[in-house]
Amino acid sequence: MSPEAQHTILWLIPGAPLAAAIIIALLGPKWLGERSRWPCWIAQAISAVCALVLLANIVPNNWVQAADDNGPVGVVASGYTWLDLGQADDGGMQVRIDLRADAISALMLAMVTTVSFLVSVFAAGYMHGDRGFPRFFAAFSLFVFSMCMLVLSSNYLQLYIFWEGVGLCSYLLIGYWYERPAAAAAAKKAFVVNRIGDMGFILAIFLIWTSFNSLDFSSVLFDADQMRFALDQHPNRLAWVPFLLLIGAMAKSAQFPLHVWLPDAMEGPTPVSALIHAATMVTAGVYLIARSMPLFMNVPDAQVLVSVVGAVTALLTALIALTQNDLKRVLAYSTVSQLGFMFMALGVGAAGAHLATAGATAGMFHLFTHGFFKALLFLTAGSVMHSMGDVIDMRRFSGLRRALPITHWTFLCGAAALAGVPLLSGFWSKDEILVVLHEASEHPQYGNYFATIYWIATITAALTAFYTFRAYFMTFWGPERFPAEAGHHPHDAPPVMAWPLRLLAVAALGIGLVTGVTHWFARYLQHTPSMEPEEHMVFHVDLMVLSSAVALAGIAAAWWMYVRRTGVASGVASRAPFLYDLSAKKFFLDEIYNAVIVLPLRLVAKLMYLIDVFVIDRIVDTVGALPRLLSAGPRLLHAGFVSNYALMMWVGLLACLGYMLGLFS
Amino acid sequence: MTGDYGSFLAVGAAMFALGGVGFVTRRNMILIFLSAELMLHGVSLTLLTFGRMHGNLEGQSFTIFILTVAACEAALGLALILGLYQRTKSLDVELWSHLRESDLPPSVLELDKDQPPLEPESPEPPMPRLTKAGGVPIIDDDFPAELARTTDPRLIYTPSAPDEE
Amino acid sequence: MFAALGASAAGMWLATSPRAVRLRVIGATLASAGLIVAVTMFDGPSGELAQRIMFWLFAGAALVSGVCMVTSRDPVYAALWFALATLGVCGLFMLLGSPFLAAATIIVYAGAIIVTFLFVIMLAQQTGLSFYDQRARTPVMSVVASWLMLAAIMWTFQRVGAAPPPANEGPALVAGEIPNPLSRPADEATFHTLRSLGRSVFGDYLYAVEIAGTLLLVAGIGAIAIAPRRTEGTI
Repeated sequence: MSPEAQHTILWLIPGAPLAAAIIIALLGPKWLGERSRWPCWIAQAISAVCALVLLANIVPNNWVQAADDNGPVGVVASGYTWLDLGQADDGGMQVRIDLRADAISALMLAMVTTVSFLVSVFAAGYMHGDRGFPRFFAAFSLFVFSMCMLVLSSNYLQLYIFWEGVGLCSYLLIGYWYERPAAAAAAKKAFVVNRIGDMGFILAIFLIWTSFNSLDFSSVLFDADQMRFALDQHPNRLAWVPFLLLIGAMAKSAQFPLHVWLPDAMEGPTPVSALIHAATMVTAGVYLIARSMPLFMNVPDAQVLVSVVGAVTALLTALIALTQNDLKRVLAYSTVSQLGFMFMALGVGAAGAHLATAGATAGMFHLFTHGFFKALLFLTAGSVMHSMGDVIDMRRFSGLRRALPITHWTFLCGAAALAGVPLLSGFWSKDEILVVLHEASEHPQYGNYFATIYWIATITAALTAFYTFRAYFMTFWGPERFPAEAGHHPHDAPPVMAWPLRLLAVAALGIGLVTGVTHWFARYLQHTPSMEPEEHMVFHVDLMVLSSAVALAGIAAAWWMYVRRTGVASGVASRAPFLYDLSAKKFFLDEIYNAVIVLPLRLVAKLMYLIDVFVIDRIVDTVGALPRLLSAGPRLLHAGFVSNYALMMWVGLLACLGYMLGLFS
Repeated sequence: MTGDYGSFLAVGAAMFALGGVGFVTRRNMILIFLSAELMLHGVSLTLLTFGRMHGNLEGQSFTIFILTVAACEAALGLALILGLYQRTKSLDVELWSHLRESDLPPSVLELDKDQPPLEPESPEPPMPRLTKAGGVPIIDDDFPAELARTTDPRLIYTPSAPDEE
Repeated sequence: MFAALGASAAGMWLATSPRAVRLRVIGATLASAGLIVAVTMFDGPSGELAQRIMFWLFAGAALVSGVCMVTSRDPVYAALWFALATLGVCGLFMLLGSPFLAAATIIVYAGAIIVTFLFVIMLAQQTGLSFYDQRARTPVMSVVASWLMLAAIMWTFQRVGAAPPPANEGPALVAGEIPNPLSRPADEATFHTLRSLGRSVFGDYLYAVEIAGTLLLVAGIGAIAIAPRRTEGTI
């Protein structure tokens, strides 16, 4: 394929959604209306096809421009200079907007564009009849554009710009129903929490710039000489960079303690939750850490911290998910928990450089499979919501498996994949994470940490299976009940919603078999520059058996508690009320934040307001009163009579004459 | 002294002063205009005298321009006076005092007390008003209202609802 | 001179303030007389008797009718007094050797402006005398201010110019160059002629004449645009 064709395909991936966003934004409200879905669909389809072409061709070495000693470096479609601050050797900076594709971004793009195409098809059915239909699809397309640009970034500043871009789209879409106070507050919360992470990210960018004199991936990440040089020159700066990057990734990927925005973000439309808050945007943090792995490799402590953060998040949110009654919230907490799994895997590089690639592979693989089955679960939740008249509380309906057969079967596929039922996609990816954690626990220095994390991960896997199937049984089993809002005969998903569900269900079931068993994913990913090729790839059968047993035990427990003996669950809750409250009230984290951060800030704001009213306003009023005081006399002359003004002119003339005659000198 | 022409200058000055008195004291718009013309006469006479004293014709040339400008002024002034008259049916210049400070009385002459009101019959034409510059921010709902400086709902900023078309 | 001026100021005050008719007549007389006496303090025309008589006739007419115009309660009378004052001033123009200007002023003022003013007065005041013509505004202040200025000007005239200024010299902006050469007639004999005035106006002041003509045109159009009564606003 000629370079021109390669570049065209690269530019089409983000370009098509951008064009769709512009078209819908300009023409949507007035002309297109519900037809706004067509530009969006076409753009997502173009984008997905191009991404698959990219995936098929970039490896091995077809598109790689220079395969030098450092291995393949990927293909770059040059754009333009966005920021020109002088030449780099004069201490200036030139930031270019270029598209850079390699194996990791091709895999990510394939997942992002495929899922977003399916979600956009589903969303057209789900959002049917909504007043802001074009607005939704404009923001949706803009999000896909930003996400593709983020993945295709060639330098850290470009990455940051689109990092903010996806944050903006997330804000717009969470607050899509802005008339609802809850949605507006959730959007604000997501935005504010993400600011904290962005702060860390931009500080990291500053440090990278001052250490490397460049922000390009090619010189920061893929050039071993530069890395050695920078480490010699600025060891302290580079020690800080991974921690700051981790803060950025924690906010975007909703890791403890910055995870609080993601469950609230479920106020947005369900397709948004499926795409942005499950499959794509929240995985940007994982992508960032996997991408920046060479920087993390220098600081083992930071990597351990990544794993610890992931472990704490995974366990905590899995415990919270046990007692949530809102179907979407269960899925949201499970998303956070699965992101914790990915973080756990990303940190194993601390236990030896040979594990770093395996860890990144495991994390990215879980990201890949999770994107499909979690999007599927959210979309089925949206389908349930659609049929139940926007009711999502699981206590108000049950036994839906006869009324909603398509939704039921596809949800079951997704739930099984998430729970880690053997041979399904979640099983393979979760198993890889457990394998790398297990291997890392043999490290002499950090082994104890990773052993603990390994057991936490195993427990969390059991909890995952339990809460996933708890939600499944509560929704689809038991006596058939519908809420009043649903009407008498709830209808199953229409074809426009059913087909994306079916396709995603196939992906959730099969993608692990296709890519996991064959190690295709791992081999493909290791074509990424900066990743060491790994030769030995074996299956740990004992670990597989253990995780299968754990998953099946979780499912069986859920079946026993919610289908067989329905009284057991409430019995447990009433017997340990404190533990139940702890989980149901999300470990009181929102309350703690409110007391520790929000209230003091609010008090300071009130103090400032009082100062404004009683000090600053008084000063301003005093200054303002001065001219009024001085003008109290002269303004009496301003009576509006022509004669008065004429007389004043006359007096002025007299004064001038007197001056000329020397009367005043 | 100024030679033979001192008395001409004195007459010019006196005409100027007389016109000034008339301009200030008269309330009839037409007579105000006539007083201004009287002042112009004084100026013309002075210019001519100076020209004569210096033995050149510049004074006469200037007087011709004064004539021209006076004619323009009379034409436009009378047109304006007619327009004003059509609004108030009166030539009284004190009816037109809208530029005064708003808290001052329309007329300060005690003598006009027994006369009909000076306000024009037609309602005051709408004047442009400045919009209010901001208001007191409300930082949260439970904030005590008495701490806010004003409780006037017109002054408290609330985002206006989009226009219902 | 200052005493005469003070007397005339007092007369003006009497005449402009709202008082009985008799007092106002006395005041007007006093004001005119004071002004005339003040003028006598200056050197009058030193030529033959007829010229002096004519000067005092015209000057007296101008001053008396000026005072009467300012103090008159009836706008029609005031306009007529103004016409008389214009005639007096034109007589003085004649004495100063500019017969063309005298004629032009009479034609423009007495012939056109006064008639227009009277027309407007007749149009506007068909109901007789109006109350606002009976009241003067701030008579004391205005008389004091005006007379102070008059005194200052007269005092200046008396003080400066002990020697008459040299003939044929104007303010020269550039040394060695005579400004406006066409405005300086060669000798006294040609001073009165229309020809020399024409040379000055259409020679030195040609551009100014053009501008003034344009101004007249614009003023005419403006007056036409403003004056007529229309049902919906002006043009």
